[in-house]
Amino acid sequence: MIPSFLLAWRALVRGHVLTLLLAATALAHLLLPALVRSDGTAAGWREMYIRAVTGATFAFTVVTVLVCACGFFAQERARFRLALTVVRPVPAFAVAAGKWLALCAAAACAYLLTAVLTAVRVPDPPACMHHYAPALPPPAETARRMMAEYLADPKTPEAVKKAPKSAVLSLLTNKELDRYDVVRPGAEMAWPFAPGLASVPGLTVRVRFATQFELRAPLAGRFELAGLCAVVSNNTQAVLDIPLAAAAAGAGPADRLRFANTGRETVMLRPRRDLELLTPADPFAANLARAALQMLATTALLAAFGLFLSSALSRPVAIFTSLVAVFVALMAPSVLVQFPDGLDVAAADRLGLAISRGVSLLAATAGEAEPVSDLATDTCIEWRALARCALVNAVLLPTVLLALAACLVRRRPLSAQS
Amino acid sequence: MSEPVIEIRGLRKTFRDFWLRPVAEAVNGIDLTVGRGDVFGLLGPNGSGKSTTIKMILGLLAPTSGEVKLFGLPPRAKAARARLGYLPELSYLHPFLTARETVRYYAGLSELDGRTAKARTDELLEQVGLAAVANRAVGGFSKGMARRVAFASALVSRPELLILDEPTSGLDPIGTREVKELVGRLAADGMTILVTSHQLFDMQDVCSRVAILSHGRVVGGGSVADIVAAAEDKRHALEDYFVARLKGGAA
Repeated sequence: MIPSFLLAWRALVRGHVLTLLLAATALAHLLLPALVRSDGTAAGWREMYIRAVTGATFAFTVVTVLVCACGFFAQERARFRLALTVVRPVPAFAVAAGKWLALCAAAACAYLLTAVLTAVRVPDPPACMHHYAPALPPPAETARRMMAEYLADPKTPEAVKKAPKSAVLSLLTNKELDRYDVVRPGAEMAWPFAPGLASVPGLTVRVRFATQFELRAPLAGRFELAGLCAVVSNNTQAVLDIPLAAAAAGAGPADRLRFANTGRETVMLRPRRDLELLTPADPFAANLARAALQMLATTALLAAFGLFLSSALSRPVAIFTSLVAVFVALMAPSVLVQFPDGLDVAAADRLGLAISRGVSLLAATAGEAEPVSDLATDTCIEWRALARCALVNAVLLPTVLLALAACLVRRRPLSAQS
Repeated sequence: MSEPVIEIRGLRKTFRDFWLRPVAEAVNGIDLTVGRGDVFGLLGPNGSGKSTTIKMILGLLAPTSGEVKLFGLPPRAKAARARLGYLPELSYLHPFLTARETVRYYAGLSELDGRTAKARTDELLEQVGLAAVANRAVGGFSKGMARRVAFASALVSRPELLILDEPTSGLDPIGTREVKELVGRLAADGMTILVTSHQLFDMQDVCSRVAILSHGRVVGGGSVADIVAAAEDKRHALEDYFVARLKGGAA
């Protein structure tokens, strides 16, 4: 593995790929902030900086690594060098793994630089926050229960009863995710949360209320959890972070966040999307380090994917295929959102929808991590999520892809021209 | 004959197009045996199937039918590859590596440990006369210098079998003589060598046995000493034999 690593590393260094990558990273941090406007607040500037600059460096590091990976085996095969490698006793997997490690090392250099520059350029960043959603049953479980009720109900139309179960379940799951709880003036509503959160210092409610007509309306109310409370006086539609403080008198339920609507408007929220409890986590730098590791894990997966394509295809075809695959994987969720239940799909759209669904399913675990978005919104990247991302994207999937690449390299060491 | 190092039986290779229709019959039933210590010349005009045969011996191409064995093993067996050295027709070096790094790279691929690889690299660079330029990138080397680096890379694992594809291709007369001398030294050390070349004059000097290929078949061959003994013009014995066999094969 070491000779292959050194060869690929020297190719990246002496081919000036690494220099260009680091220079582009530094330039992005210097130039991009001047080109992108924020909302004028420090928080807005920070979010803009992270989304635009850190996000841009992530994107072009990924593209650079992917393009290089697509060339490694393909170019060696086209120039007969791959044949000289496979006639040696070294295992093809070790050759592939060495190249992959070199690509990961180059990406690690770029992410280290971007992390350092981000830490230097973002002034006084707040600590990141743990996010806790209401402790509701999984939406799929609720959807199954709802479907059983629909099927048992004699009023349910026959067409619904005969519709494909998977489509109905998907429809009901999406419906549950977007379900609104309505709180009328003078009424109360409570949502369950994990017990023990009330004792964590710095507890904050993040909430976004709406009205039936999605208008910006005056909002007034009071949140209570155990011995904590907070008064809300703002507008609907705004995302509000409301710190809970010790209540002067009375106490709310121990494991339920209660909201009393003291205003004149009927307000509503989607408990699975619009309501969270936040608790302080690590400093920004620690979250930045975890975000860089998540970016590296995602890049490692794409490097392995590029090497896999390179083991079978010529360089231009591998680059084209990889970029199309990444684009389709990025776009697939947006396509699926348009057809959440898969019902009433025109025949002409079915193929595209099937491809989008398949790609989305394949890329689901790999694309789970959103380091730039989490960093920009001060969301703590949990160690568990990081470990899962690293295990899947930097260990399991690359091992499979590199093993496949090794098989293909052994079976096809020569280009058609040789 | 001594213990066989390469055994080829009924070897055929048919190249096919996308629809699996046969396009070319590159190798058409070759039987060959190369014994330990032989310097075996595989001779033939362009398109006779030499390179395809070598690629099948190296395990780079799968035969359509027939069998190749190296040291009694399939060519793709790790144990066979560990005892093999290969010099291709062109040097195919990584231009950004230095001469030392190139030889070390192939030493690493041959799974030599670090200390042995370093010592062997220094020894070979000295042997091929490149010690003084060992730290220069090979991209700036002349064809002859690059050939010497490739030669050192092929020899780095102390192979028992060395396959040389046109080893003197593109070399000037001095370079050609150096290669011939090196092959002679390696043969004297007991290394088995399979060599292809168009330079029949050179082949006569270095080979102990030859086989002549034409249109994917063996049309002649035998001991070089016997061929020379039977020839009237000793100096051009192999060349005359080669031309005679090709004309006979064509007839």
